[in-house]
Amino acid sequence: MWLYEKKLQYPVRVSGPNPWLAKNIITQYGGPDGELSASLRYLTQRYTMPIPEAKGALTDIGTEELAHMEIVAALVYNLIKDATLEQLKAHGMDGYYADHDRALYFVDATGNPWTATYIQSKGDPIADLHENMAAEEKARATYEWLINLSDDPLVTDALRFLRMREIVHFQRFGETLRLVQEWMDRKKFF
Amino acid sequence: MQRDRRELLLKIMALDFTALELNLYLDTHPRDARALEDYNRVTQELFALRQEYQERYGPLIHFGHGYSKYPWQWIEEPWPWEMTF
Amino acid sequence: MAENRKMRLARAYVPFQQYTRRFAPFDGLMRGTIFPELYLPYRPKEMMGRGEE
Ligand SMILES: [Fe+2]
Repeated sequence: MWLYEKKLQYPVRVSGPNPWLAKNIITQYGGPDGELSASLRYLTQRYTMPIPEAKGALTDIGTEELAHMEIVAALVYNLIKDATLEQLKAHGMDGYYADHDRALYFVDATGNPWTATYIQSKGDPIADLHENMAAEEKARATYEWLINLSDDPLVTDALRFLRMREIVHFQRFGETLRLVQEWMDRKKFF
Repeated sequence: MQRDRRELLLKIMALDFTALELNLYLDTHPRDARALEDYNRVTQELFALRQEYQERYGPLIHFGHGYSKYPWQWIEEPWPWEMTF
Repeated sequence: MAENRKMRLARAYVPFQQYTRRFAPFDGLMRGTIFPELYLPYRPKEMMGRGEE
Protein backbone atom coordinates (compact mmCIF):
# COMPACT_ATOMS: atom_id res chain seq x y z
CA MET A 1 0.00 0.00 0.00
CA TRP A 2 1.02 3.63 0.01
CA LEU A 3 1.24 6.30 2.69
CA TYR A 4 0.75 10.01 2.16
CA GLU A 5 3.19 12.39 3.70
CA LYS A 6 1.71 15.85 4.21
CA LYS A 7 4.51 17.78 2.55
CA LEU A 8 5.96 18.39 -0.91
CA GLN A 9 9.27 16.79 -1.88
CA TYR A 10 10.58 20.23 -2.92
CA PRO A 11 9.37 23.66 -1.74
CA VAL A 12 7.22 25.23 -4.46
CA ARG A 13 6.86 28.97 -4.97
CA VAL A 14 5.47 31.09 -7.79
CA SER A 15 5.82 34.84 -8.41
CA GLY A 16 2.13 35.36 -9.21
CA PRO A 17 -0.72 34.31 -11.51
CA ASN A 18 0.62 33.12 -14.86
CA PRO A 19 -1.89 31.07 -16.88
CA TRP A 20 0.37 31.06 -19.92
CA LEU A 21 3.14 29.26 -18.02
CA ALA A 22 0.62 26.92 -16.35
CA LYS A 23 -0.74 25.91 -19.76
CA ASN A 24 2.73 24.76 -20.80
CA ILE A 25 3.84 23.19 -17.52
CA ILE A 26 0.68 21.10 -17.28
CA THR A 27 2.19 18.77 -19.88
CA GLN A 28 4.37 17.35 -17.11
CA TYR A 29 1.15 16.54 -15.24
CA GLY A 30 -0.81 14.78 -17.97
CA GLY A 31 1.38 14.78 -21.07
CA PRO A 32 3.20 11.87 -22.78
CA ASP A 33 6.50 12.40 -20.95
CA GLY A 34 4.92 13.70 -17.75
CA GLU A 35 5.01 12.49 -14.18
CA LEU A 36 1.72 10.56 -14.29
CA SER A 37 3.01 8.57 -17.26
CA ALA A 38 6.31 7.95 -15.48
CA SER A 39 4.76 6.83 -12.22
CA LEU A 40 2.17 4.49 -13.74
CA ARG A 41 4.69 3.04 -16.18
CA TYR A 42 7.13 1.97 -13.45
CA LEU A 43 4.50 0.90 -10.97
CA THR A 44 2.83 -1.39 -13.48
CA GLN A 45 6.05 -2.83 -14.93
CA ARG A 46 7.40 -3.84 -11.54
CA TYR A 47 5.23 -6.97 -11.25
CA THR A 48 7.17 -8.79 -13.95
CA MET A 49 10.69 -7.67 -13.03
CA PRO A 50 12.87 -10.73 -12.45
CA ILE A 51 15.25 -9.61 -9.69
CA PRO A 52 14.75 -7.91 -6.31
CA GLU A 53 16.90 -4.90 -7.22
CA ALA A 54 14.62 -4.18 -10.19
CA LYS A 55 11.42 -4.61 -8.16
CA GLY A 56 12.82 -2.19 -5.60
CA ALA A 57 14.02 0.41 -8.11
CA LEU A 58 10.71 0.45 -10.01
CA THR A 59 8.63 0.65 -6.84
CA ASP A 60 10.71 3.47 -5.38
CA ILE A 61 11.16 5.53 -8.54
CA GLY A 62 7.46 5.04 -9.38
CA THR A 63 6.62 6.35 -5.93
CA GLU A 64 8.96 9.33 -6.26
CA GLU A 65 7.29 10.20 -9.58
CA LEU A 66 3.97 10.53 -7.71
CA ALA A 67 5.67 13.15 -5.54
CA HIS A 68 6.81 14.92 -8.72
CA MET A 69 3.26 14.83 -10.06
CA GLU A 70 2.27 16.62 -6.86
CA ILE A 71 4.98 19.27 -7.37
CA VAL A 72 3.81 19.95 -10.93
CA ALA A 73 0.19 20.08 -9.70
CA ALA A 74 1.17 22.57 -6.98
CA LEU A 75 2.90 24.74 -9.60
CA VAL A 76 -0.09 24.73 -11.96
CA TYR A 77 -2.58 25.23 -9.12
CA ASN A 78 -0.73 28.24 -7.77
CA LEU A 79 -0.18 29.74 -11.23
CA ILE A 80 -3.92 29.74 -12.07
CA LYS A 81 -5.79 29.90 -8.77
CA ASP A 82 -5.80 33.72 -8.60
CA ALA A 83 -5.83 34.37 -12.35
CA THR A 84 -8.74 36.47 -13.55
CA LEU A 85 -11.02 35.35 -16.34
CA GLU A 86 -9.47 38.08 -18.48
CA GLN A 87 -5.98 36.68 -17.84
CA LEU A 88 -7.10 33.15 -18.64
CA LYS A 89 -8.62 34.38 -21.92
CA ALA A 90 -5.62 36.46 -22.85
CA HIS A 91 -3.26 33.51 -22.39
CA GLY A 92 -5.15 30.82 -24.23
CA MET A 93 -6.62 29.07 -21.21
CA ASP A 94 -10.24 29.85 -22.06
CA GLY A 95 -10.72 26.38 -23.55
CA TYR A 96 -9.30 24.78 -20.45
CA TYR A 97 -11.52 26.99 -18.28
CA ALA A 98 -14.61 25.89 -20.24
CA ASP A 99 -13.90 22.25 -19.41
CA HIS A 100 -12.26 22.46 -15.99
CA ASP A 101 -12.44 25.98 -14.53
CA ARG A 102 -9.22 26.19 -12.46
CA ALA A 103 -9.23 22.51 -11.53
CA LEU A 104 -6.34 20.16 -12.22
CA TYR A 105 -6.80 17.78 -15.13
CA PHE A 106 -4.45 15.40 -16.96
CA VAL A 107 -3.75 17.05 -20.30
CA ASP A 108 -0.66 17.97 -22.29
CA ALA A 109 0.32 21.53 -23.30
CA THR A 110 -2.16 21.56 -26.21
CA GLY A 111 -5.06 20.03 -24.29
CA ASN A 112 -4.85 16.35 -25.28
CA PRO A 113 -6.03 14.12 -22.43
CA TRP A 114 -3.74 11.55 -20.84
CA THR A 115 -3.91 8.09 -22.37
CA ALA A 116 -2.51 4.68 -21.38
CA THR A 117 -1.04 4.48 -24.88
CA TYR A 118 1.73 6.80 -23.62
CA ILE A 119 3.19 3.87 -21.70
CA GLN A 120 4.06 0.24 -22.29
CA SER A 121 4.49 -2.80 -20.09
CA LYS A 122 6.07 -5.43 -22.30
CA GLY A 123 6.84 -8.22 -19.87
CA ASP A 124 10.42 -8.29 -21.17
CA PRO A 125 12.61 -6.61 -18.54
CA ILE A 126 15.27 -5.52 -21.06
CA ALA A 127 12.65 -3.86 -23.27
CA ASP A 128 10.87 -2.30 -20.30
CA LEU A 129 14.07 -0.87 -18.78
CA HIS A 130 15.07 0.61 -22.13
CA GLU A 131 11.66 2.27 -22.33
CA ASN A 132 12.20 3.69 -18.86
CA MET A 133 15.63 5.06 -19.69
CA ALA A 134 14.18 6.71 -22.81
CA ALA A 135 11.28 8.06 -20.74
CA GLU A 136 13.70 9.70 -18.30
CA GLU A 137 15.58 11.37 -21.18
CA LYS A 138 12.33 12.61 -22.73
CA ALA A 139 11.21 14.02 -19.40
CA ARG A 140 14.62 15.69 -18.95
CA ALA A 141 14.32 17.25 -22.43
CA THR A 142 10.78 18.46 -21.65
CA TYR A 143 12.01 20.16 -18.48
CA GLU A 144 14.75 21.86 -20.50
CA TRP A 145 12.23 23.20 -23.03
CA LEU A 146 10.05 24.36 -20.13
CA ILE A 147 13.05 26.08 -18.49
CA ASN A 148 13.70 27.83 -21.83
CA LEU A 149 10.07 28.97 -21.93
CA SER A 150 9.69 29.97 -18.27
CA ASP A 151 9.47 33.65 -17.38
CA ASP A 152 9.13 33.03 -13.63
CA PRO A 153 12.46 32.36 -11.84
CA LEU A 154 10.70 30.70 -8.88
CA VAL A 155 9.01 28.24 -11.21
CA THR A 156 12.28 27.68 -13.08
CA ASP A 157 13.89 26.73 -9.77
CA ALA A 158 11.41 23.86 -9.27
CA LEU A 159 11.77 22.81 -12.92
CA ARG A 160 15.54 22.53 -12.42
CA PHE A 161 15.03 20.26 -9.44
CA LEU A 162 12.65 18.03 -11.41
CA ARG A 163 15.07 17.90 -14.36
CA MET A 164 17.93 16.75 -12.11
CA ARG A 165 15.78 13.91 -10.79
CA GLU A 166 15.40 12.52 -14.32
CA ILE A 167 19.17 12.24 -14.60
CA VAL A 168 19.43 10.33 -11.31
CA HIS A 169 16.56 8.05 -12.38
CA PHE A 170 18.30 7.36 -15.69
CA GLN A 171 21.40 6.30 -13.78
CA ARG A 172 19.40 3.95 -11.54
CA PHE A 173 17.55 2.36 -14.47
CA GLY A 174 20.90 1.96 -16.24
CA GLU A 175 22.31 0.14 -13.22
CA THR A 176 19.13 -1.95 -12.99
CA LEU A 177 19.55 -2.89 -16.65
CA ARG A 178 23.13 -4.05 -15.96
CA LEU A 179 21.95 -6.18 -13.05
CA VAL A 180 19.22 -7.76 -15.18
CA GLN A 181 21.73 -8.46 -17.97
CA GLU A 182 24.04 -10.17 -15.48
CA TRP A 183 21.15 -12.16 -14.08
CA MET A 184 20.25 -13.37 -17.58
CA ASP A 185 23.84 -14.37 -18.27
CA ARG A 186 23.99 -16.38 -15.05
CA LYS A 187 20.73 -18.08 -15.96
CA LYS A 188 22.14 -19.11 -19.31
CA PHE A 189 25.29 -20.73 -17.91
CA PHE A 190 24.07 -22.52 -14.80
CA MET B 1 2.91 29.37 8.01
CA GLN B 2 5.04 30.44 10.99
CA ARG B 3 8.77 30.68 10.53
CA ASP B 4 9.65 28.00 13.12
CA ARG B 5 7.33 25.54 11.49
CA ARG B 6 8.59 26.28 7.99
CA GLU B 7 12.20 25.89 9.09
CA LEU B 8 11.59 22.57 10.78
CA LEU B 9 9.63 21.32 7.77
CA LEU B 10 12.43 22.35 5.40
CA LYS B 11 14.90 20.46 7.57
CA ILE B 12 12.73 17.36 7.36
CA MET B 13 12.32 17.78 3.59
CA ALA B 14 16.09 18.03 3.17
CA LEU B 15 16.84 14.96 5.28
CA ASP B 16 13.96 13.07 3.68
CA PHE B 17 15.55 13.75 0.31
CA THR B 18 18.92 12.43 1.47
CA ALA B 19 17.21 9.25 2.67
CA LEU B 20 15.37 8.90 -0.66
CA GLU B 21 18.58 9.32 -2.66
CA LEU B 22 20.45 6.76 -0.56
CA ASN B 23 17.46 4.42 -0.82
CA LEU B 24 17.47 4.55 -4.65
CA TYR B 25 21.25 4.03 -4.63
CA LEU B 26 20.92 1.03 -2.31
CA ASP B 27 18.25 -0.52 -4.57
CA THR B 28 20.97 -1.11 -7.16
CA HIS B 29 23.90 -1.40 -4.67
CA PRO B 30 22.44 -3.52 -1.86
CA ARG B 31 25.89 -4.56 -0.61
CA ASP B 32 27.37 -1.08 -0.28
CA ALA B 33 27.88 -1.17 3.49
CA ARG B 34 28.91 2.46 3.69
CA ALA B 35 25.82 3.76 1.95
CA LEU B 36 23.71 1.46 4.11
CA GLU B 37 25.27 2.74 7.31
CA ASP B 38 24.68 6.29 6.11
CA TYR B 39 21.07 5.47 5.27
CA ASN B 40 20.41 4.06 8.72
CA ARG B 41 21.97 7.08 10.39
CA VAL B 42 19.90 9.50 8.33
CA THR B 43 16.76 7.45 9.03
CA GLN B 44 17.37 7.68 12.77
CA GLU B 45 17.87 11.44 12.57
CA LEU B 46 14.77 11.81 10.41
CA PHE B 47 12.70 9.81 12.88
CA ALA B 48 13.62 12.20 15.69
CA LEU B 49 12.89 15.30 13.58
CA ARG B 50 9.52 13.92 12.46
CA GLN B 51 8.65 13.18 16.07
CA GLU B 52 9.46 16.75 17.05
CA TYR B 53 7.41 18.20 14.19
CA GLN B 54 4.42 15.97 14.85
CA GLU B 55 4.36 16.81 18.54
CA ARG B 56 4.23 20.51 17.70
CA TYR B 57 2.13 20.64 14.53
CA GLY B 58 0.24 17.37 14.15
CA PRO B 59 0.72 14.29 11.99
CA LEU B 60 2.91 14.41 8.91
CA ILE B 61 1.90 10.88 7.90
CA HIS B 62 -1.58 9.39 8.25
CA PHE B 63 -2.90 5.85 8.90
CA GLY B 64 -1.31 5.24 12.26
CA HIS B 65 2.06 6.88 11.73
CA GLY B 66 1.57 9.91 13.93
CA TYR B 67 -0.52 10.93 16.95
CA SER B 68 -3.21 13.62 16.81
CA LYS B 69 -4.49 16.01 19.44
CA TYR B 70 -8.19 16.90 19.67
CA PRO B 71 -9.81 17.69 17.31
CA TRP B 72 -8.40 15.46 14.50
CA GLN B 73 -5.36 17.36 13.31
CA TRP B 74 -4.69 15.49 10.07
CA ILE B 75 -7.22 17.62 8.15
CA GLU B 76 -5.77 20.91 9.35
CA GLU B 77 -4.76 23.35 6.64
CA PRO B 78 -2.47 24.19 4.96
CA TRP B 79 -2.20 21.15 2.73
CA PRO B 80 1.10 20.81 0.85
CA TRP B 81 -0.07 22.64 -2.29
CA GLU B 82 -1.32 25.53 -0.15
CA MET B 83 1.98 26.12 1.66
CA THR B 84 3.98 29.16 0.73
CA PHE B 85 7.69 28.97 1.31
CA MET C 1 28.23 -4.80 -6.25
CA ALA C 2 28.61 -5.96 -9.82
CA GLU C 3 31.78 -4.63 -11.45
CA ASN C 4 31.92 -3.10 -14.90
CA ARG C 5 32.75 -6.29 -16.79
CA LYS C 6 33.61 -6.97 -20.40
CA MET C 7 31.04 -5.49 -22.72
CA ARG C 8 29.08 -7.26 -25.44
CA LEU C 9 27.62 -6.15 -28.73
CA ALA C 10 23.97 -5.14 -28.99
CA ARG C 11 23.79 -4.15 -25.34
CA ALA C 12 23.60 -0.80 -23.59
CA TYR C 13 25.81 -0.13 -20.59
CA VAL C 14 25.67 2.59 -17.97
CA PRO C 15 28.65 2.55 -15.59
CA PHE C 16 27.89 1.74 -11.96
CA GLN C 17 28.08 4.67 -9.59
CA GLN C 18 30.40 4.29 -6.61
CA TYR C 19 29.25 6.21 -3.55
CA THR C 20 31.96 8.15 -1.78
CA ARG C 21 30.57 11.44 -0.55
CA ARG C 22 27.42 13.53 -0.62
CA PHE C 23 26.24 17.12 -0.34
CA ALA C 24 24.77 18.27 2.99
CA PRO C 25 20.99 17.56 3.11
CA PHE C 26 19.69 21.05 2.29
CA ASP C 27 22.35 21.63 -0.36
CA GLY C 28 21.45 18.28 -1.95
CA LEU C 29 17.73 19.12 -1.99
CA MET C 30 18.39 22.47 -3.66
CA ARG C 31 20.59 20.84 -6.31
CA GLY C 32 18.23 17.94 -7.01
CA THR C 33 20.78 15.26 -6.08
CA ILE C 34 23.00 14.51 -3.09
CA PHE C 35 25.66 12.96 -5.33
CA PRO C 36 28.34 15.40 -6.62
CA GLU C 37 29.24 13.04 -9.50
CA LEU C 38 25.62 13.04 -10.74
CA TYR C 39 25.04 16.79 -10.39
CA LEU C 40 24.77 17.89 -14.04
CA PRO C 41 22.89 21.22 -14.08
CA TYR C 42 21.28 22.59 -17.25
CA ARG C 43 23.00 25.61 -18.69
CA PRO C 44 20.54 27.22 -21.11
CA LYS C 45 23.25 29.58 -22.39
CA GLU C 46 24.80 26.64 -24.22
CA MET C 47 21.62 26.55 -26.28
CA MET C 48 22.31 29.96 -27.79
CA GLY C 49 24.60 28.50 -30.45
CA ARG C 50 21.62 26.49 -31.64
CA GLY C 51 19.53 29.61 -32.07
CA GLU C 52 17.33 29.00 -29.05
CA GLU C 53 16.50 30.98 -25.93
FE1 LIG D 1 11.87 10.37 -13.40
